[in-house]
Amino acid sequence: MRDRRRCTAVRLHRVHRLAATLAVSGLLFGTAACGSGSGSARAGDPNTLEVWTRSDPESAQTYDRVFAAFTKKTGIDIDYQPVMNFDQQLQSRASTKDLPDVMINDTALMGSYQAQGLLKPITPASIAGHDEITAKSWSSTVGRDGRHYGIPYSRQAMTLFVRKDWREKLGLPQPKTWQDTLALAKAFATRDPDGDGRKDTYGMVVPGSAQNGYVAWWGSSWLWQGGVQILRKEGTGYRPAMDSAAALRTVTWMKNNLFCGDNGVIQPSALTSVTANTTNFQDGNAGMYLTGPYNISTFDKALGKDTYEVLPAPAGPAGNDVLADGENVYFGAKTGKAKQEQALAAFLVSPEGQTLAMTGDHQPVVRIPVNSTLSAAKVRDDPRWSVVQKAYETASVQFPNAPDFAPVKQDTADALNAIFTYCGSDVRSGLKELNDTLAGDLKDQELLK
Amino acid sequence: MSAPAIDPVRTPVTATPARRSAGKQRTTPARFDTALGWSDRPGPAWALRVLLCLLALGVFAAPFLTIFSGSFSEKASGSTLSFLPHHPTLLNFDVAGQRGIWDYFGNSLVIAGGGLLLQLAVCTLAAYALARHKFRGQALVLTLFMLTMMLPEEVIAIPLSLVLGHVPVIGVDLKGTVWGVILPLGAWGFSVMLLTEFMKDIPTEIEEAARIDGVGELRMLWQVILPLCKPALGVAGVLGFIMIWDQYLLPLIAAKDPTDYTVTVALSILRTDPEVGSGVVLAGAVIALVPSLIVYLLLQRSLVTGIAAGATKG
Amino acid sequence: MTATVTTPGRRRARIIGRRAVLPWLFLAPGLLLALVFKFLPMGKGVWLSFFDVRPFLGDQWVGLDNYTRVLTDHRFQDAIGHTLVLGVGMSLGGILVGSALALLLEGQARSLKIIRTAVFLPVVTATAVVGEMWRLMYYPTSDGLINSGLGLLGLGPVPYLDNPDTALWATMAMGIWMLAPYNMVIILAGLAGVDRSLYEAAAMDGVSLWQRLRHITLPAIRPALGIVLTLAAIRGLRVFTEVYVLTGGGPAGSTDVWMTRAYTLGFTRNDIGGASAASVVLLCVTLLLTVTVNYLRKRGDVR
Repeated sequence: MRDRRRCTAVRLHRVHRLAATLAVSGLLFGTAACGSGSGSARAGDPNTLEVWTRSDPESAQTYDRVFAAFTKKTGIDIDYQPVMNFDQQLQSRASTKDLPDVMINDTALMGSYQAQGLLKPITPASIAGHDEITAKSWSSTVGRDGRHYGIPYSRQAMTLFVRKDWREKLGLPQPKTWQDTLALAKAFATRDPDGDGRKDTYGMVVPGSAQNGYVAWWGSSWLWQGGVQILRKEGTGYRPAMDSAAALRTVTWMKNNLFCGDNGVIQPSALTSVTANTTNFQDGNAGMYLTGPYNISTFDKALGKDTYEVLPAPAGPAGNDVLADGENVYFGAKTGKAKQEQALAAFLVSPEGQTLAMTGDHQPVVRIPVNSTLSAAKVRDDPRWSVVQKAYETASVQFPNAPDFAPVKQDTADALNAIFTYCGSDVRSGLKELNDTLAGDLKDQELLK
Repeated sequence: MSAPAIDPVRTPVTATPARRSAGKQRTTPARFDTALGWSDRPGPAWALRVLLCLLALGVFAAPFLTIFSGSFSEKASGSTLSFLPHHPTLLNFDVAGQRGIWDYFGNSLVIAGGGLLLQLAVCTLAAYALARHKFRGQALVLTLFMLTMMLPEEVIAIPLSLVLGHVPVIGVDLKGTVWGVILPLGAWGFSVMLLTEFMKDIPTEIEEAARIDGVGELRMLWQVILPLCKPALGVAGVLGFIMIWDQYLLPLIAAKDPTDYTVTVALSILRTDPEVGSGVVLAGAVIALVPSLIVYLLLQRSLVTGIAAGATKG
Repeated sequence: MTATVTTPGRRRARIIGRRAVLPWLFLAPGLLLALVFKFLPMGKGVWLSFFDVRPFLGDQWVGLDNYTRVLTDHRFQDAIGHTLVLGVGMSLGGILVGSALALLLEGQARSLKIIRTAVFLPVVTATAVVGEMWRLMYYPTSDGLINSGLGLLGLGPVPYLDNPDTALWATMAMGIWMLAPYNMVIILAGLAGVDRSLYEAAAMDGVSLWQRLRHITLPAIRPALGIVLTLAAIRGLRVFTEVYVLTGGGPAGSTDVWMTRAYTLGFTRNDIGGASAASVVLLCVTLLLTVTVNYLRKRGDVR
């Protein structure tokens, strides 16, 4: 921190006041004076931890509060860097062999980071308060060698958002099964739930693009509910399982009923939609959305608290499991500062640390607390969060964490998007092809059994 | 459409007096001002032009009404378009302001202003050498400059990040300074190529005449060559500004802290921020496009005003 | 064309000595910046294409493995066709529409100034927002802007982006829309350099509009057209942003181009070596294309 202050003269946020003058000559002077204050100066300081999170400026402000509380409590300084292009920056730091001490990032990245040797193994017992994290959460940070490589920090699970006002107007019950969901979607699409006399509403919102693997992210809950596993664990390795009878049945059902069925069950352009441009639910022209709880504040603002309800996902043939994901705390693979890192992790998962991260004026960074003594609904004073928490605790499945799941997710998304696009295509051969591709991915990682 | 003022510099050289007197009926000068010889008097051709202009406006500009109206709408929808704002309000701009868009905007102004000055200076010098001097390896150098535009920046992101953190030889850390964004944009193949092409077209006689008068190289460039390629400079200015303004990855790589981000980065943050609606994103987009549009308006004159015509053709 | 002072005698030797260094002085800042901030990282990028990239554990030399993997991947092979169609279509469309706009909007009247500025809006708006806007204009139901227009003509709604047969063409239309005003600006600058007296002379001689365009305008805007063409050669095959913001390569990979594939490889699959190899392949093709275009152009100039 100290080094950075020294350079304020050239720092952009100070300079912008002079923007109108565009005084380049003035800036010239500044650079000469500054420039040598890189991260390495702090790296040696045993009492400072360099912490990275993948955050935009809004959520960074929440982290700022959390870390300030930590420093106040322990006297350990935090050099906090919110990074948007996290992986790029991490790779460039990795090639200088100088990693941040602590990182907070997606659960799904653990396999990839571990394979690249970026992470330090963690003994849960070394983290104070480790027993307040459930075994289910801890099990999601086990790497391919059986050791833990992350500390659970925040979790979330998908739930179904339904337009309550529409549903009640049409006199239909809350959906409990896939069939209910489908019937409700059709009713939303055809029975003019918004009462404007025009056929301009849709049953359900689907981010169905293959870009960044979205259709696999959204579709995985349906796969779990249909009894499908994308990868099956076998001994110390995995086998792809997308050629199973369950997969054929489930994907065929989705294709026939959601994507190629009656018009209006899902929103138009679903096959090229990603979450950022799928706004039909908050715009009030679609009635259901299976998605993560981070949308609650958006929907409250756009639609109003009373117009919609948060429900557990309706059950398919094999139950109502949904996809769970979240963020972990990772320790960068470097020596020293173990005590400080453990102290920070203990604070982050403590009731105090978790509560701070769930509240405040800026965007919360913890959705469902991993600390089992906390209730998301109580902390937020919002009973809807108990639905999410219950879904996470009792009916959720994470993507396998040991392999680098990114290629698997992307290939699954490419295949599903193609199957759902070509309504006349043969699902069986599409899935067979996917299964072969997945086998190749696992082979690349030397995990194929 | 008013008749354009005749450039005083041009008049003496333009029309050969013999022809003018021998000419049939003298039409308005506007007829000779455009390639297609558009007339500014009402008539069938004039009507056709008006019609085509309306078509161009409809195709290229009308869709923007939806962006403007969305940015002023109380509740902009991300799934339908409308040409008129719902309950006009400035709320979206307020929210964008709370998210710090004006700070990012200031960063962008500094970077785009400084970057453009550097880029124009560097590229003009290079183009002058390439267009007005003969030397070995000329074609290779031009190809090298064009090569800078060919490799996708995503691929060089990680190595570039290392270079910015520790510039070879001098070992300076440019991250967190505006130089980290400005310097990599200094040599833009497009501007070099554009200015080279236009400078090549200036006849040798002009240069030779000046040389006989003992004009040095820098003065030659500044006082003889540059005034003759104003349209090209205008293009390099407008498109260079937009190119720098639109940089997304580079400011991210060069930033040390979110306060270093630019307005283009801020826009993408707004887009993925679940707490703000599409109205705020559109407000951000409207704020972000204003400077480029102003630069275009300012430099537009040099784009279309013929340079002392006749003077350029030997 | 280029200036060379042909002073005879002994002065010549001295001048040539000085003149040989001079251009390099002028080139130095540009070449230096390009070397440090472009070629150095670029060389490293090319170098990485021969490795299994693991920055922390140490990169592993894999020879041409990344290249064979990319070139034999059927999704990359599928992308070649899309890239060619999209690159060529967008470039040619952009040049044609851009030229038409420039010819239409040339002139100094204030009304023209305003129209030109309005037409320039697609270039100055953030690409992501443009993408979002076009997604809505392409809305596949009769509520969509374009489809409601078609509805007035009695034509049924077209599922532009939802249908793999039309998605590529829809993307191309947006690409041309973004590119045409950009090219317009360059061509306008070319038109500004045309000697007005030649037009007047041509009118006296009673030549047709076509001849006038062909023999006066075209030769004069050759540099501008050359730039637009070279630009098309450099950027055409690198088409990425337009696809990324509009369709993300979908549906069913029907708009996947070389760069979206490379991006997916590098970013969602963390295969930096593979992404570098894919980019180097593209770089080589682009370089070849650009050099060819320039060669043909030079030959045209001489003729």
